[in-house]
Amino acid sequence: MSVRDEVRQAMGALSGGSAPGGRGATSDLSIDETLLLHSVGWEPVDMVFGVSWWSIPWGVWQWTTGEVQAASAAFAGAVDQAAGLLRGECQKVGGTGVLGVEVSVRVSSHHVAIELAGTAVKRTGRPHEGFEFISDLSARDFVLLTRAGWWPLGLAAGASFVVAPRRTVGQWASQQGQNTELPNLTEALYLAREGAMERMQRAGASMKADGIVAVKLREGRASSNIRVMQFVAIGTGVHLRAGEHQVIAPTMVVPLDERVRQFDVTSLRGSGGR
Amino acid sequence: MTPTAPTAGAVTGGAGTAGGEGGLPEAATRRLSGGAWSSGLSVTDFASCLDMGMRPLGFVQGYAVMQWSWYMATGGFAGMRGGLGGGGAFGAGWGTAQRRRGQYVEQWQCPHGFVGAEHRMYGMNYELTWLEQSWATGWGLAVGRMVDEAASLGATGIVGVIDDMRPLAGVNTVEFRASGTAVAVDDAPAPAAPFTTYLSGQRLAKLFEAGFAPVSVVATLSAVQMLGYCITNYQLAGTAQVGWYGAGGGGGVGTIDQVNRAQAAARRLARERVRAQLGGDVLHGATLESSEREIGEGDLSVQCLLKGSRVRQFKDFDPLPHPAPVVRLT
Repeated sequence: MSVRDEVRQAMGALSGGSAPGGRGATSDLSIDETLLLHSVGWEPVDMVFGVSWWSIPWGVWQWTTGEVQAASAAFAGAVDQAAGLLRGECQKVGGTGVLGVEVSVRVSSHHVAIELAGTAVKRTGRPHEGFEFISDLSARDFVLLTRAGWWPLGLAAGASFVVAPRRTVGQWASQQGQNTELPNLTEALYLAREGAMERMQRAGASMKADGIVAVKLREGRASSNIRVMQFVAIGTGVHLRAGEHQVIAPTMVVPLDERVRQFDVTSLRGSGGR
Repeated sequence: MTPTAPTAGAVTGGAGTAGGEGGLPEAATRRLSGGAWSSGLSVTDFASCLDMGMRPLGFVQGYAVMQWSWYMATGGFAGMRGGLGGGGAFGAGWGTAQRRRGQYVEQWQCPHGFVGAEHRMYGMNYELTWLEQSWATGWGLAVGRMVDEAASLGATGIVGVIDDMRPLAGVNTVEFRASGTAVAVDDAPAPAAPFTTYLSGQRLAKLFEAGFAPVSVVATLSAVQMLGYCITNYQLAGTAQVGWYGAGGGGGVGTIDQVNRAQAAARRLARERVRAQLGGDVLHGATLESSEREIGEGDLSVQCLLKGSRVRQFKDFDPLPHPAPVVRLT
């Protein structure tokens, strides 16, 4: 059937039929992702959310150097709670996993805010098999991963916030007028990196993951205080389900079409738009 | 299909048209009745539409300018704000509060007893129904007017819809706007009202091929106001561990329950409201935009805008073959 015939058939359905009734579903997946998921036996169920704010005590950033344990603990608690809420919503709507989770992390002086939003998915035509995973992988990455014999388990995250020590008067004086490394800031960043990566890897191990893929890093200054360094690492814990890695052996293609610049309809609004 | 509006009472296509009673402005009618057709489609999307048998008829738009205020002079829980600063004054605010039907409201009570005039003895999360209704009215008017223009052209649907809202003149005036390309599908039965969709071009073609028909664009705004009680106030200020205020505050590091409940409620309300409009259809390609406004020390206003294209399955799903991985040599 040509696409023209399908459009006519669709218009016929709209003009004659009414909504099927029952419970509507929401999905933030594109049509490509929906089709791809169907091809491997999964379907979207509903959008699900998990939001958690945790407080950080006043004063923990001041008069100290080294890691701010309270901030790191607040981050860990908020991630755990948000993931728990996401999982709860997923199970409530009948999903067995959450895909394409958008992760938002905001850290302020007195609180950490974690927001997770994704689409709950379930296997097509199969009974509910219990909760399986939360993943920030796209549907395409999920299909590729599972085809290679790996399976997502959950979000693995770690964060560390470090206050760098002040330079001594001697260091400050010797560095004036020079382009030179500032070891106190470099070391603070490294300390934060080690703390965050270690926690993320520990989180992966606790969910029995063999590894963590698609790790996203956020590092740099954490606040208006130039001596506070942050390092946040988040990825999806995966484990090998098929016993061994399955070679995908992709086919090489030489596309003969010109790359066409995709048109963005929002550009019609110009700079004055949203 | 008349565009759906998030709440009952919101105006949908055809009602409240800008040109006066029962029709488009006279100039618009004249413009649309002759001359060359216009379109917001790119050349590639235009070509794709022609492939699907869709003929562009006109670049249709709808606008609505609304007076916009975060606080209502009367109604809802707006009158309570002044009463929450101190326990003694709370009673007066409480007495005037009217819970609207189905409105989300949740309350918290201070565990400390009377401490002083600055101490927040009560906290409350409540839905800003008047804000949600104002948004739904503005959005519904703009989309409805766009659909009116398309209907006057005899369109089957509107593709590539863009909608947004922005301040127009001063702080209390906002403009809702919607635009898209009206198209006609020749030799096809016309829906009761033109369909609308955010999709266009290849993405729309894939939707049809997957067995889904576009029905309408759907959007809803949910808004929840959080007036923090003492524990929330201390947690947001980072002082929950100071002295005996720590009771219930988790010693400084801990979940901020009232904020989390407000955030969850805003998302749940948006999703439930959208679901209520779907009637068994699917909201495709949904996007959620969330934001907070700090409206005072320890007080937040949370908004969630959820929108997407409502689609209806018109044929059994044709499963794709198992995807073949490829490496592009470019």
